[in-house]
Amino acid sequence: MSVTEQGLLERDKDTMTLNMGPQHPSTHGVFRVILEMDGEVVETAEPEIGYLHTGIEKTSENKRYVHVIPMTDRLDYLNPPGNNLAFCLATEKLLGVEIPERAQALRVIMCELARIASHLVWLGTHALDIGAMTVFLYCWREREMVLDLNEEISGVRMMTSYIRIGGVAKDATRPWLDGIRDFIDYFPAKVDEYESLLTKNPIWMDRTQGIGVFSREEAINWSLSGPALRASGVNWDIRKSRPYSGYEKYGFEVPVYQGGDIYDRYRVRVEEMRQSREIINQAIQKLPTGDYKTPDNKVSLPPRETLHTSMEALIHHFKLVSEGVSVPKGETYVPIEGPRGEVGFYIVSDGTNVPYRVKLRAPSFMAIPGMCQMMTGCYIADVVGIIGSIDIVMGEVDR
Amino acid sequence: MTGEEIIATVKAGLPDTIQDTALPQGDAVIFVAPDCLQKVAAFLKDDPSLKFDYLSDVSGVDYLIEEREPRFEAVYLLYSIDHSHSIRIRVGIEEENPSVPTVSELWKGALYPEQELFDMFGIHIEGHPRMERLIMPKDWVGHPLRKDYPLTTEPVAFSYNRDFKSELVKSKPPTR
Repeated sequence: MSVTEQGLLERDKDTMTLNMGPQHPSTHGVFRVILEMDGEVVETAEPEIGYLHTGIEKTSENKRYVHVIPMTDRLDYLNPPGNNLAFCLATEKLLGVEIPERAQALRVIMCELARIASHLVWLGTHALDIGAMTVFLYCWREREMVLDLNEEISGVRMMTSYIRIGGVAKDATRPWLDGIRDFIDYFPAKVDEYESLLTKNPIWMDRTQGIGVFSREEAINWSLSGPALRASGVNWDIRKSRPYSGYEKYGFEVPVYQGGDIYDRYRVRVEEMRQSREIINQAIQKLPTGDYKTPDNKVSLPPRETLHTSMEALIHHFKLVSEGVSVPKGETYVPIEGPRGEVGFYIVSDGTNVPYRVKLRAPSFMAIPGMCQMMTGCYIADVVGIIGSIDIVMGEVDR
Repeated sequence: MTGEEIIATVKAGLPDTIQDTALPQGDAVIFVAPDCLQKVAAFLKDDPSLKFDYLSDVSGVDYLIEEREPRFEAVYLLYSIDHSHSIRIRVGIEEENPSVPTVSELWKGALYPEQELFDMFGIHIEGHPRMERLIMPKDWVGHPLRKDYPLTTEPVAFSYNRDFKSELVKSKPPTR
């Protein structure tokens, strides 16, 4: 009697439940997914989040506007300037303050440096998940330079809190600008180097092409954004469609690919690093002179040296430090283009110096259901590739 | 389209269902009752001149301290990729048995933020396939983003110098 006749191999409907995470190295944080497996094929993928919940939205309702900025750093910890910028833009929209051109250019430089650093972390870890160790080490080498530049301008390597309500924390310094010039001269050859390791690599192509495919309609309906959406053929970049901080003044391309698979998401992000370098280059070339924060002393602190001579400056300084900015009553939503997609803050103000409600629109959070939809029907070995290609950051998923 | 044009189109297409409109800083905002939400959402998505095919986010607000009626509000942020314009739908929700119909049949991306709305505000989403906690643990009591949910610290389970510290706290009055 064979095994089939004995009924030992009647496993048509028999699936295996496999737990992945939250302490799995390739889930990029504490993401947990429960996979229902039919052999090696994923039947359903059930996400489980909340392991990194820190209650930042609740805490924000009890802090002044200025005090919220350092907390936004911790949301998407690979893109602190982007989060600062989204929060400050929303607050400034309610306040109705104009930002000087120099401050806007400095903001753009910071955000694009953060985009490069974030994509380097993504490329390194994504390639490492799929099995390419060298790329990880190369990417970390260049990311280190960006972190050194962060340290030079803000004193902190990652959680910069450099962008403030009304402008930026301090003016650009000569060593910082020189460091950026050196970096943008050095960087394009390194992007070519990553591409020479991966783009035409047959193993990389086998592991990424045609896997985790989302069509244009699916990607829009599941609220993917950023590079994941542009890899599915949607030409939508908030820097172009609703320009903020003077992005309309810079000439850059928005890479769009049609495949919608892991490989195309990879190509979109690699090309974005080149475009970010291009934006930084233009911003450095024509960095406007002038103030690095708004001269409106009801919003930003007066210059330090005026405190000794001007009574009015002293009063403004005292009021701002002891009480903070009071934001007019209202509600607003401002989106920006982060490295992972649309980052936006929905702020409700009740007219006091403390926000009534702060809600982050987090691209990683919105992408998780779609990502698990992509996993159904693929092999278990591709699950790590799909998670890496969406580039989730659990800090902004759980908040 | 600009905010005024969007509001004019919505008002013309759905004459009796829009409660109110607003244009804060030029953004189009419409106020809708919960039972009309699905009708309005379907119109906004299908109308060729509006074509709001992308759902950015769903967020909730608790207006308890403002003493506004109704107490809760769900805010739907919609965007049109082809026309690059946006709209906010604000849906007022009563305090007694708060509930709002789902829009996840139109936009699959609404599944997660709607579940978060239930988790954080206790607003029931009618027709949502998974009405359970998302971010908080499954056995959590209360809805943290409600304004009557206190912001407290957890008691420390054990501390190396606890007795010493509590004595110190007692002997030293707070400076503020």
